[in-house]
Amino acid sequence: MAKQNIYQQELENLEQAKNFLKRSEYSKMDIQLEFKKLVENYEELIDQVKIITKISDRLQKKLNRTNDKLELTNQQLNDTNIKLNETIDALAEAKIGRKAATIVLFVAILLFIISEAWIEPMIEKAFPNFWVGLGLKLIVAILIKPGEDFTNKYMLKKARKKQLEEAEKELQDKTNKI
Amino acid sequence: MDNLVIEGTKQTPHIDFNASTGVLSISGRSIPENTFEFFNPVLQWLDEYAGIAGDETVINVSLEYFNTSSSKYILEIFKRLKGVLNDGKDVLVKWYYEEDDEEMMETGEDYEDVSGLPFEIIAIEE
Repeated sequence: MAKQNIYQQELENLEQAKNFLKRSEYSKMDIQLEFKKLVENYEELIDQVKIITKISDRLQKKLNRTNDKLELTNQQLNDTNIKLNETIDALAEAKIGRKAATIVLFVAILLFIISEAWIEPMIEKAFPNFWVGLGLKLIVAILIKPGEDFTNKYMLKKARKKQLEEAEKELQDKTNKI
Repeated sequence: MDNLVIEGTKQTPHIDFNASTGVLSISGRSIPENTFEFFNPVLQWLDEYAGIAGDETVINVSLEYFNTSSSKYILEIFKRLKGVLNDGKDVLVKWYYEEDDEEMMETGEDYEDVSGLPFEIIAIEE
C-alpha cells in the first residue's frame, strides 16, 4: 500500500519511537530492540538525505548551466533581431526613396507638360520676354530635389507610424492573451 | 493486473509499466506541481506488481531533469524493486543519459550505490 505522503514511513517510525517512550515499563530486551530499529531507520534516513541533497545540488548545477546557455542564446537572438530590424529599416527606406523619386519625377514631367502646353503660351502672351518662361522652368527644376526630400520624409513618417501602430496592436494582443 | 501508462507532459514524465512483460519505462522531465499526486499511483502499482512480478524485471529510466521531491520518489521506486530482487527475481535498471549530460550520468551512479540494484548506465548519442 502506497503511503499518504512522501515522508509517511519516516513519520510512522518516529511515532512508534514516541509511543515506546510513553510506555511505563521496559525490559532491557525491549529497549535494545527499539533502539536497534531506531538506529536502522536513522541510518536509512541519513542515506536518503545524503543522496537526495547530492542529486538536488547536481541537478541545480545542470539547471544553472541550462539557464546560462538560454541567456546567451537570448542575447544572440536579440542582437540578430536588432541587425535584422536595421536591415529591414534600410530596405524600407530605400524602397520609399525610390517610390518618392518616381512620384516627384512624374509630377515634374506633368508640370513640364502643363507649363509647355498652357502656362508658357499664356506667359508669352502676357510678358513677351524669353527669360520669364525660362525662369519658370528653372523654378520647376530647382524644386525637384526639395520636393523629393519632402515626399521621402513624409512617406517615411507615414510608414513608421504604421509600423508603430502594428507593434502596439501586437503588444496589446499578447497582453490580452496573458 | 493492468498495465500502467501515463502520458508525459512538459512537467511530468511518461510512464509505461507493463506487468506481463516486466518492462517498466519512465522518461522525460519530472517537475510535477504535486509530486505525491503524480507518483502515488505509480507506487501503488509497484506495490501490487511486487506480488506478481515475473522472473525478470527491467526498468528503463531516461530522464532529462527532475526536481528534489521526484528524486525521493525515484528512490522509493528503486526501494520497491529492491523488494522484488530480494524475493529472488532478476531486476535490472537501465539508466539512460544524453552523452554530454554528465550530471545525469553521475546521478545514475549515485542511485546505483544507494539502491543496491544492478544498473546499466547507458549514454545516448544526440
